[in-house]
Amino acid sequence: MFRLAFLTTGKAMNETISTFKRSKYFGYALLLGLALFFWVFFKILSPHNFGTSKLMANYLQTSIQYAVGGCGFYFIVVMGMFDFSIGANIVLSSLVGVLLSRHFGYYGLILGCVLCGTLIGSFNGFLYTRLKIPSMIVTVGLMLVLESVANYVVTLDSAGFPGKLTNANVLAFNHAPWNFIAAAIAFLLMGFILRFTKLGTYFNAIGSNEFVAKSMGINVEKYKFIGFVLLHFFVGIMALLTVSYGKGMLAVTGMGSMSRNFKPLMGTFFGVAFKKYGIPVSAIVIGEFIITLIFNGLVALNVPTTINDFVTGAVLLAIVTLTNRGLRGSVVK
Amino acid sequence: MKEVVLRSEKINKHFGITHAVKDVTLEFYRGEIHGLIGENGSGKSTYCSMLSGIHSITSGRFLLEGQELNIKSLVEANLHGISIVVQEMGTLSGLTVAENIFLGREDKFMHGFIKDTALMNKETQQLLDSYGLKRINASTVIDNYSFEDRKLIEIVKATYFEPLVVTIDETTTALSQNGREELFAIINRLKESNKTVIFISHDLSEVLAHTDRISVLRDGELVKTVNSNEVDADDLKRLMVGRELDKRYYRTDYDGRVSEEVVLKVTDLRVPDEFEHISFELHKGEILGVGGLSECGMHELGKAIFGGSYDRTGIVQLPQKNAYINTIPEAIRHGIAYTSKDRDNESVVLANTIGDNITLPSLDLLANKRVLRKKKLQAFAQEHADRMSVRMTGIKQYVFDLSGGNKQKVVLARWLGRNSDILIFDSPTRGIDVKVKADIYALMSELKDQGKSIIMISEEILELIGMSDRILIMKNGQINGSFMRNEALGEEDLIAKMV
Amino acid sequence: MTRTDEQSIYRWRKMEELLRQLMPYIGFVVLVVVFSILTNGRIVQPRNLNLMLSQVYVLMLASLGVFMIMTVGGLDFSQGSILGLTSIVFAWVSQYGIVLGIIAAMISGALMGAFNGFFHVKFRIASFIVTICTMYLFRGLCEYLTTHGPIPASFQVVALDETWLKVLLTSVVIMIGFLVFHFTRLGYDLRAIGAGEIAARFSGSRPELTTFLVYTVAGMITGFASFINVIKVGSITGTAGSQLETQILIALVLGGMPISGGAKARFSNIIIGSLTYSILEKSLPMVFPVSATQQLVKGIVFLVVVALTIDRKSLRVIK
Repeated sequence: MFRLAFLTTGKAMNETISTFKRSKYFGYALLLGLALFFWVFFKILSPHNFGTSKLMANYLQTSIQYAVGGCGFYFIVVMGMFDFSIGANIVLSSLVGVLLSRHFGYYGLILGCVLCGTLIGSFNGFLYTRLKIPSMIVTVGLMLVLESVANYVVTLDSAGFPGKLTNANVLAFNHAPWNFIAAAIAFLLMGFILRFTKLGTYFNAIGSNEFVAKSMGINVEKYKFIGFVLLHFFVGIMALLTVSYGKGMLAVTGMGSMSRNFKPLMGTFFGVAFKKYGIPVSAIVIGEFIITLIFNGLVALNVPTTINDFVTGAVLLAIVTLTNRGLRGSVVK
Repeated sequence: MKEVVLRSEKINKHFGITHAVKDVTLEFYRGEIHGLIGENGSGKSTYCSMLSGIHSITSGRFLLEGQELNIKSLVEANLHGISIVVQEMGTLSGLTVAENIFLGREDKFMHGFIKDTALMNKETQQLLDSYGLKRINASTVIDNYSFEDRKLIEIVKATYFEPLVVTIDETTTALSQNGREELFAIINRLKESNKTVIFISHDLSEVLAHTDRISVLRDGELVKTVNSNEVDADDLKRLMVGRELDKRYYRTDYDGRVSEEVVLKVTDLRVPDEFEHISFELHKGEILGVGGLSECGMHELGKAIFGGSYDRTGIVQLPQKNAYINTIPEAIRHGIAYTSKDRDNESVVLANTIGDNITLPSLDLLANKRVLRKKKLQAFAQEHADRMSVRMTGIKQYVFDLSGGNKQKVVLARWLGRNSDILIFDSPTRGIDVKVKADIYALMSELKDQGKSIIMISEEILELIGMSDRILIMKNGQINGSFMRNEALGEEDLIAKMV
Repeated sequence: MTRTDEQSIYRWRKMEELLRQLMPYIGFVVLVVVFSILTNGRIVQPRNLNLMLSQVYVLMLASLGVFMIMTVGGLDFSQGSILGLTSIVFAWVSQYGIVLGIIAAMISGALMGAFNGFFHVKFRIASFIVTICTMYLFRGLCEYLTTHGPIPASFQVVALDETWLKVLLTSVVIMIGFLVFHFTRLGYDLRAIGAGEIAARFSGSRPELTTFLVYTVAGMITGFASFINVIKVGSITGTAGSQLETQILIALVLGGMPISGGAKARFSNIIIGSLTYSILEKSLPMVFPVSATQQLVKGIVFLVVVALTIDRKSLRVIK
């Protein structure tokens, strides 16, 4: 009798544990646990240069920029596509925003960044769906084009320091609370889209099995196009935050903008990995924070800044290896 | 009860050169359970997928309640009251149960562009409860559920909106005994509410027990429609196969004697979740048939012997060469060949030329000190393509252009070129027209005469009886029976060991 | 469908295919003609030929390796960083002997390539992700190693900056690559694996081993190319080789290389592509002095060419 009770409670416990393991609470626990781990790790190694409350506020302010981009990227990655031109978009949209801000103040800045981003997204989406070129390839070409266009936009900026946000009247998004507000709007928007519209479902469906999704009557092309527009809309917001934080933007050529693609991407990978717990947005935000902790931790340890790229590569590789491995026997190119 | 709810008039389907469905004219009554049977490749799945909007119709039309059906997708079909539970996985990973069930039909939960997820989940749960599936949670991501549960969810998805006609395609093989009972309960409920069910299955006893009428398709054509209580399994088989053909098709001798020499010895072979405790010997010049239901594990067995499985334990040995086979290159090197059931993915490289496909396994043999000369390869490929009479425009033609039968010929040409002694054929005549089938059977007899040994894995019972010297029947991953070639051997004997 | 119907469809397809194969050559000719006109014939003058082709050696060699990777269906974005790092290795070791330096560079390149191959094959991570990560990884190392200034090679090295030597070395390696691709099993395997990996496996190919090998060899060839790179510049900075990976991608695309590789990959893709790209790269500054405009033209040309040459039939699902 006692044994029976023990067995049933054991079984019930197993079931509760496995339901817990699938639930969002477990996901949150994992994420916060990771964040705590890294904070403690670097704090111990360098107690004064890392992790103080002032510095933490800084970490937060930089990480939310990438998180906004990471959110946008999520829509595309979930469908199995990729976009190399995000960095170029940030540059271009920032410069357009700066340009317009000279005459139209905040309206110019905000509308410039976000509208430009969205337009680029429509353009990307259009080319992808019309030309039927794999997203990876077409966005490499687009990156080249967008970088060049950004250089032209700079020449249109007649101010003393082209590309620099010297007008103090438009620097609100550089600091709290406005940058947090803008980011929060972006996160809430994403959560809303995923939970309360068909888009989240359809994006997942297309990413899961495009053929089946199509036979269910889903207009795959339309939703892929929307995905690109959304992505670059979010990138527009990221541009707003980035240009404000940096008080300006430099135009680059030669694919210099590529480096801006990867911090957001890391957050996206977190989002994809934690999708099964149902908490993608939180995963992206907390994930980006964890990444910022790691980078700043290494800086605090006096690791030379030239090693920055090395760290980027290593961290991204580590994250992907741990979260996105393919199944044995599957064909991965 | 005799009211016609659905009628097809001269429905045809062409896949490229293949004529899969030929002028099928058929009627379905309201409130009947209508069985649709036929061999593999007979066109029954294609017919139903045209009805359901998955495939386009080449010519002909469907009339639902007197109106011509003009649908281009599954969702459109649903809107007209037609649905289908497909053979493969019909639910999408990464989505919740509720999202899967209402995929494409979220409109009733939409306010503008806002989706009322809570309401959708609630309604889904109510639905699941009404089907007796309380244990399934509507808001959980569907990946957390087993294949069987996902199938049941698919059935809910296909039936909850009271469709006029539901097709259930080969679904019972995926279900356990409990699952099957749940399925038949649902089917009977549909019948009681005057809905029509088209039931496709290979299990003839099941079809006879649960249907009102049965239509038999063969090679894409409708043979006959009968009342279920007026026929038995033998009658159905006769209609499915057409007795006249088989005598000329298969081997005409009944001599199952083979040499004592053992060329292949399999000991305690196991692949987790697929099959286990498989041990047998293959003799020189023997055609060993392996049969069973689709999921009995025999297909995985063929692959595993060839070295194509990841988790295989046990021994595959060639006693005469004292060699052990663990990987595919080893298998090929020691003269084993393999043709897969999944021809397009595992046998031929579709996006490559006929010539390259034929020469690929023989490249090491054709090389002169590691150097390959194009002319030599081309001559080799041409020779063997001609030997198999592949209907092509040249060896530079890409394989994806060929019909199923010709693709199979390319695969066979490849192994003939390699001069393999042991050939593992998995479903060699699946989806192939009658003429090419006969060619393949003739080839098998020829190979046997040359002293080659063949393992033939097949779901077509008559093929096994017609061609094999010995037949092994598998059930639930183990060998369940063994038969020697003799004139009196009948399908029931085999089926008895399969189910 | 009747026999004659089949035949005429086949003939049409053959013509289409022929056109697509000729496209790179046509493109090359068109390019030369257009830019000759735009530069008033400057680019075809013999004394400018050297300039035109100065970049082609390293590009062609590195493209050889990436060509093999792409034939198998993969991508490699790390070649530029590998070039940078192996150039540094060569520069260091060249102080002890040039041949020793070349060997060291090749070995280090092979190791880097093997790193790529390992993560891609063993952990089944998409090749473009792995190589983007290693692009940053190796680039970071380059920057770190040159923090105190560019690394010089031994003086004897610079003396070797002769066109005939570069042409000879490049031709020899390309020739070896050609022979291996066309006359050994590897070439057939690569195309089969790229066209249908699972079926190739069941025909006796070894996709995992072959893929790993290809990444390693690509790194090794780039290691060799670093020699030619260094004799041109003399000393290595942290940005050595940057952008090479996109140049390679554009070059191969201009050469008609199918993006997903497979059976339609042709060795000529490398040669025509590198030549076309080099001419484009060198002619653009003569016509458009602003570097941003050059890049714009490059980007547009790239998009146009890809749109025209991509084999949509073989790509069943376009992601």
